[in-house]
Amino acid sequence: MMAVLAGVGAAIGALGRYGSSQLVTKLVGTRWPLATLVINWSGSLLLGVLTGWQVDYVLTVILGTGILGGFTTYSTFSHEVVMLVDQRRWGAALSYLLLSVGVGVVLAGLGVYLGAMLGSGR
Amino acid sequence: MANYLSILIFAFIGGSGRYLIGQALPVSAGFPWATGIVNLLGCLVLAWLSHAKRVTAHWPNAVAEGLGIGGIGAFTTFSTFSVDTVRLITQHQWGLVGGYLGVTLVGGVLCSALGVWSARKWATFPVVEK
Repeated sequence: MMAVLAGVGAAIGALGRYGSSQLVTKLVGTRWPLATLVINWSGSLLLGVLTGWQVDYVLTVILGTGILGGFTTYSTFSHEVVMLVDQRRWGAALSYLLLSVGVGVVLAGLGVYLGAMLGSGR
Repeated sequence: MANYLSILIFAFIGGSGRYLIGQALPVSAGFPWATGIVNLLGCLVLAWLSHAKRVTAHWPNAVAEGLGIGGIGAFTTFSTFSVDTVRLITQHQWGLVGGYLGVTLVGGVLCSALGVWSARKWATFPVVEK
């Protein structure tokens, strides 16, 4: 049952990623993988909030494992890094990797902090 | 429309698959094995799929996009990776932080590179790439 909820959430999340990725690509082009960056950053922040808030298990599975897990993606991120390396764009590859992970982890930490504040106010 | 439907279906499979692997492989010794393995495996498959044109050229576009963007995209996850790293940092498990970042980042790039390389070697039209 929980696996079904995670799957439904992930389907919603993936569709959100597909839509927002097309939107960002239309706005800024594909020379730099900004769409995946924005998706992974915002997903990390929101999952942090959810984790800090300590919502119940069912909500964690639907929103966290499902929607945000399906919205963010690691495989595309890693493939984009390799493609930048393939194009010999070393600076872009390194900055994309470090910005994704560095800022992603900071945002997740900030989210946990914010979520804990919101959760304690209940 | 077919693309949206295909992404929904494959992402459902990918997301529930990730949940089930997480249940089968709980965090042991503080190391988030499940997310690590899921992400590395997904890196390999997505990269291969993106370049194995000799295989995917015959597929309907909806299947290729659904499997890659929906299935593998939802199977792998960045948000859990970030939050797991934060959890290890707040527990001051510095060895695990380094290990998890190292395995996921270096392993992910290597798996993606292996996927691209093997697809270009065996499963692509020579004219399509380069």
